[in-house]
Amino acid sequence: MIEIQDVRKSFDTLEVLRGIDLTVEKGEVVCIIGASGSGKSTLLLCINGLEPIQSGRITVDGTDVHARGTDINRLRQRIGIVFQQFNVFPHLTVLENVALAPRIVLGNSRAEAVDKAKTQIAHVDLTDKLDAYPAQLSGGQQQRLAIARALAMGPSYMLFDEITSALDPELVGEVLDALRMLRGEGMTMVAVTHEIPFAREVANRIVFIDEGRICEMGPPAQVIDDPQEERTRQFLSKVL
Amino acid sequence: MIDYTFQWRVVWRVWPELAKGAVVTLEITVLSMLIGLAFALVFAVVRRSRIPVLSQFVHGWVELARNTPALLQIYMAYFGLGAFGIHIGAYTAVLGAIAFNNAGYLTEILRGGLESISRQQRMAALSLGMNRFQAYRYIIFPQVMRIVFLPVMNQTIWAMLGTSLGMIIGLQELTGATAFQQSLTFRPFEFYFVAAVAYYVIAKTIILASRLAAARLFRG
Amino acid sequence: MGSTAVPLYSSGFSWGDFELMLQGAGITLVLTLLSGAAGTALGIVVGWARTLDRWYITYPLVGYIDVIRSVPLIIQFILFNSVFAILGFRISPFWSGMFTLSLYIGGYVAEVVKAGIDSVPRNTRRAARGLGMSYFQDLRYVTLPIGVKAVFPAWIGLMLGLMKDTSLIAVLGATPPELLRASQIIINRIQEPLLILLGAGVFYFVMCAVISRFGGRVEARWAIERGVLR
Repeated sequence: MIEIQDVRKSFDTLEVLRGIDLTVEKGEVVCIIGASGSGKSTLLLCINGLEPIQSGRITVDGTDVHARGTDINRLRQRIGIVFQQFNVFPHLTVLENVALAPRIVLGNSRAEAVDKAKTQIAHVDLTDKLDAYPAQLSGGQQQRLAIARALAMGPSYMLFDEITSALDPELVGEVLDALRMLRGEGMTMVAVTHEIPFAREVANRIVFIDEGRICEMGPPAQVIDDPQEERTRQFLSKVL
Repeated sequence: MIDYTFQWRVVWRVWPELAKGAVVTLEITVLSMLIGLAFALVFAVVRRSRIPVLSQFVHGWVELARNTPALLQIYMAYFGLGAFGIHIGAYTAVLGAIAFNNAGYLTEILRGGLESISRQQRMAALSLGMNRFQAYRYIIFPQVMRIVFLPVMNQTIWAMLGTSLGMIIGLQELTGATAFQQSLTFRPFEFYFVAAVAYYVIAKTIILASRLAAARLFRG
Repeated sequence: MGSTAVPLYSSGFSWGDFELMLQGAGITLVLTLLSGAAGTALGIVVGWARTLDRWYITYPLVGYIDVIRSVPLIIQFILFNSVFAILGFRISPFWSGMFTLSLYIGGYVAEVVKAGIDSVPRNTRRAARGLGMSYFQDLRYVTLPIGVKAVFPAWIGLMLGLMKDTSLIAVLGATPPELLRASQIIINRIQEPLLILLGAGVFYFVMCAVISRFGGRVEARWAIERGVLR
């Protein structure tokens, strides 16, 4: 379970998160929507401690992410994240990209790590590209590689940060398919997305963030089809 | 018309002397690069860390190395240090000055390389549970290596050509040995032409070898 | 160079010495400006000719650039000087040195110019030609202005290097002496190497700073231009 309690975060004088409260249950799929600059992506980075917070608390399975004593590297093994810009490692092959972290972080043997990697690479349908370098892959393939890389760590949670925003339209489908598949397998997921129809299809809950606050939250049928708040309506009318 | 008879045999006769000079040239090139790289690795990290006094010291070093002629730096080592009671030979002076210079330029090259590896690569590494050291060791450093490889090779060529300044303070590296030998025969053109060819061959060999190495090291 | 030797004449740093160094700094600047201008002109032509992609043009030019960049400048100074002698040209070491410096820096500028032209996206050039511009109009109004801005910092770097390299003209014994040679002359007389070298260092440092500052200004102005256009 991910519990976010009254989280505030600023960059210098700019307050981007102004008191966020959110709980994500095991097996749930939560989609976060909102205008750019509303703080959605920052929230994801805070959940696995890549950005510090100024006040409030984020716990994952009861462990405080930002507490001094927390072994953040260990915690991150349980939380996978996929970024908008792929951020695959350009100097490593597809196989090496996925096998590296299990080997050096989890301490798996080389054979174990390669096994694990191959499984996840097959999962995202890249088996024919094992020895290719990222530069030889399309954007969609690179993003699927990033997903496989995160999955190889055996995470309990997956965070997705606008993972289709940097893709050509025709490549969006294959990446979303990978997410649908994960949902089918019961993965707990938090996804920041601009794909409203996709969010409506896969999410248990939609969270609409506006200017650093949660403006509206609930099942897709409510937030997307019958929004209660004026700001939500305005936002949806712009993107739909 | 050209009223000049070229005489190459006088050069050929003393080739072992020139070869000895070439060895000194290569020696100083390699040593000055190794010393320069060792300093630059530390300096680049210090510069990025912005530790107050240390960072300014490195900044000063880099500016001095880049904004004064290498020959002045050699003079400084050879003549200037005498004021502090330090007297060093021509070999040490040239090696020290070129290494000083290399450290300055290489610091900037490495710093640029580190900066060009995006923050996001670091984030991706950390998000997989790697610690900072692992992120450097497996993700950032290998990428920096590729980016700085060619600039570092260019610096090597520069250092190699720069050792020729040793001739001015009487060091018998390739140019110095050439100068000495030609002074015995008064055939400057022939001697310096042969030296030029030798430098060209050395430079091309370094470039070729580094291209081959790069192709092997950095696939993908 | 016995330190106990009694100086034959005034051993202190005199006003005349300062003037000699000042004159030296002026010579350094003149050498830099003249050979920098000639070398840049040469480099632009050579760099542009390289982009024509004709083997009978490319091969000789690549050869020239290659040799210039693989042989120590000192040796180039001496070789060209002796070539002039062999050919029977009566030319002073100063101008022979100037010639070598121009040819030398031209080779480096050529590489930078080529990189600049290559940095302009093919589609931008197509767009220019698509508007009916001729090859030279595209080069003059579109490709060069964009390319120049891309490689300007590299060119400034070359000019800084050139200024430092002018000190090597000393091997020809060129007169009047540039800054470092002037310093050397004074050191030989008053035996105060550290002081004089530090002084010369300050001169170089200041001249480098001026060139860098000028480069920074120009870049800043272009940055504003781009900002306004965006």
